[in-house]
Amino acid sequence: MKLAIVVQRYAEDIGGGSELHARYIAEHLAAYADVRVLTTCARDYVSWKNEYPPGVSRVNGIAVERFAVAHERDLRDFARRSSLVFDETHSIADELEWLDSQGPQSPALIARIEQAAHDVDFAVLFSVRYHTAFHGSRAAAAKAILVPTTERDPAVGLAILGPVFRGVRGIMYNTPEERALIQALHGNAQVPGVTVGVGSQIPDTTDPAAAAAKFGLDRPYVLYVGRIDVNKGCAELFDYFTQYAAGTEQPLDLVLIGTAVRPVPAHPRIRHLGYVSDQDKYDVMAGAEALVMPSYFESLSMVMIEAWALGVPVLANGRCDVLAGQCLRSNGGLFYTNGREFEAMLERLLEDSALAAELGDNGRAFYETHYEWPVIETAYRQMFDRLMAAPTAAPLEPLPGWLAARRRTLPPAAAAVDAAPRGPVRE
Amino acid sequence: MADQHPHQGRRQHFHRGRRGHDRRGERRPSQTPQGQPSGGPDAPQPDHVDVDQIVRDIKARISQRHGIDLSAQQIQELAARRLEAILDPRTVKPGLLDQLRKAAGAPADIAPAEPADAYTFEDHTIYDTHNGLLRFLRKLFNPLLKLFFNPNPISAALHTQAEVNRAAARREAERERTQAEWNALHYTLLQRLVTEVSRVSLEIQSLALRVESLSTRTDFTERRIRGLESVPAPPAIPSRSFDAPATAPSSPAPRNGGESGTGDGSSEGRRRRRRRRGRRGPGAGGDAMTGAGAALSPSQNDAAEGDDDPFDEGPDTEMGDGAEGIEADTPSSGNAGEPAAVEMAPPPHAPEPAPVASTAPTPAPPAPQPSSPPADAPRDSSITPPVTDPSGT
Repeated sequence: MKLAIVVQRYAEDIGGGSELHARYIAEHLAAYADVRVLTTCARDYVSWKNEYPPGVSRVNGIAVERFAVAHERDLRDFARRSSLVFDETHSIADELEWLDSQGPQSPALIARIEQAAHDVDFAVLFSVRYHTAFHGSRAAAAKAILVPTTERDPAVGLAILGPVFRGVRGIMYNTPEERALIQALHGNAQVPGVTVGVGSQIPDTTDPAAAAAKFGLDRPYVLYVGRIDVNKGCAELFDYFTQYAAGTEQPLDLVLIGTAVRPVPAHPRIRHLGYVSDQDKYDVMAGAEALVMPSYFESLSMVMIEAWALGVPVLANGRCDVLAGQCLRSNGGLFYTNGREFEAMLERLLEDSALAAELGDNGRAFYETHYEWPVIETAYRQMFDRLMAAPTAAPLEPLPGWLAARRRTLPPAAAAVDAAPRGPVRE
Repeated sequence: MADQHPHQGRRQHFHRGRRGHDRRGERRPSQTPQGQPSGGPDAPQPDHVDVDQIVRDIKARISQRHGIDLSAQQIQELAARRLEAILDPRTVKPGLLDQLRKAAGAPADIAPAEPADAYTFEDHTIYDTHNGLLRFLRKLFNPLLKLFFNPNPISAALHTQAEVNRAAARREAERERTQAEWNALHYTLLQRLVTEVSRVSLEIQSLALRVESLSTRTDFTERRIRGLESVPAPPAIPSRSFDAPATAPSSPAPRNGGESGTGDGSSEGRRRRRRRRGRRGPGAGGDAMTGAGAALSPSQNDAAEGDDDPFDEGPDTEMGDGAEGIEADTPSSGNAGEPAAVEMAPPPHAPEPAPVASTAPTPAPPAPQPSSPPADAPRDSSITPPVTDPSGT
């Protein structure tokens, strides 16, 4: 079997969610298929600046073809177009221009995907909100398996995504919430799909004592792992934690791992370790009282899965349907929706050691049942077998003509997403 | 790892004992064979820990303590209902609120449209016709017409009137647009005002509950103090020798802030008592468990210390003061080393204040005299405010 993995960036040192997801999938499917990655030369997801040389190279044994990005992202233009399509009545042409502005635009890559569609059995395309996945899906619709990695943000409500969601061969959803949202917005229930997610590279052993000694973690702590950014809910986390710390004398620290995009408050109980190695991350995580995940928008929290793999309970933001749903289905963590609940849930986790241990155990069982690599690999292979046996789907719906594409009749994408059903999926 | 975290404060069970790699412990058997996605991650875990129930319980507890904690969206929905209630349907046109809501959501026209029935009148208008031949003849005989009268003033007047009509229509459209903008602004202002009023009223409601809770707590504390003050001093232990006479003074010594009366009311005696009280603990209770305090079991004594007292935060100092007052009036109060058990010994079965007062050999009336109902049931749950859970947040 021949597979093409299409993703906007690809390298060993890229730690972004969908990019890491794509790399893990490529490396694990390489045991069963001839995998080739088609990507751009970009390294920075903001500018899409060409930093890797074009051509063929190998990353962890996987053949990678890189194609140059036509132009870097103009952030001002992107912000203006985002405001138009998300918040105002607009047209299909506006959405296509937004996608061009979003990038990364690489006509050579799209041409290569179109050509590869004749050679490979399937093309697995990641992150539908990017130019590569959208146009790649259209170029190789008959072979396209989409991994949307969508969050509940306005972009998923764009009308141009509907034909893609309805026209690809199969969809690998990350969570039931993502599946419900996409099906509600774009009516693609007939497209073969499976909720599978992604695993992680959990080490066989961890040494929390060594990490505690290395980083001077001499008090109990809860851990946040990820980019320290307002968009990830970190401002709210700092607010809630400082309020909690002001009202208790319990020796509990908040330890942060990740790059700080926003300043970390100078607080005696907040410790920022910066960017650490994977082994250190897992060591610190294994010693945490709980992992805190304050993000509002997540397609799938890999960090939560990693914490559960280590038997660490989770405290998540319940206003993110995906996180709340993961906690409910796994019985592996609690979730909050405001500061009082944050404090109460944290207290409960800290005081009720039996509950915390059981949540950790449940999380670990959830990981073993759904997110260990044999499970993920099997889900992908079953999807390939199913699609090979099924007849080819109808061709993708064409884009509207010049005049129709310019009629400003589409509602704001944010309004469309707001109107979609929300809430965690319990079963 | 666990040893690195010293136990501090009240939370002695902070660590679960399975931190780090140890926590991974024995691996639970998977519920499905490896490699078989049993229904995907949709399938719930059949464990007896129910996160949904735990979260609901905690939220309910928070609501009980702090009042209903509404999200911003819920407050807006509440405000929308209040807004409809404010606009009395008997006096306001039905559907006006919907119109205002739509007007607030819809953008107002930027430029007023030209009136559909705009009428123009030019010099040639009186000669206009769709018939080309007739138009030619009119032009041909126009000089003849002008020979009889001058049509120009008529044309000018009608032209001016058309211009006036157009200007009036533009003004009207502009006025309507401005009115629509004002309506939208007024609706937005009204909506936000009602939302803020709703939010503030909820906060007031929450604060009122809090005040009520605190006042109940204060009231209970006062009753308890009075109850303790009314407790008779336990009989002296004959085996102990006392510096002070074992009999009560012939006349009740009025307490005067602890400065007057018996000698143990002095600041030195109080310091000693406090030192002793501070030293008293599970492992150093030899002194404290003698005398009157020995009548209590250790657990009772601990209870008397207030360790499991839901009100252990506030009234501690007051109880100490009150106990000192009692101590100064009791026969055994001459011994500064004894009163620790007395001062913090609320009877497990609270005595009725009145009989206590009647049986006290030297009933030194505690000042001030209780004016409120007797402390007949200090631990009556009916007066326990919902905020008294010591483990709560």
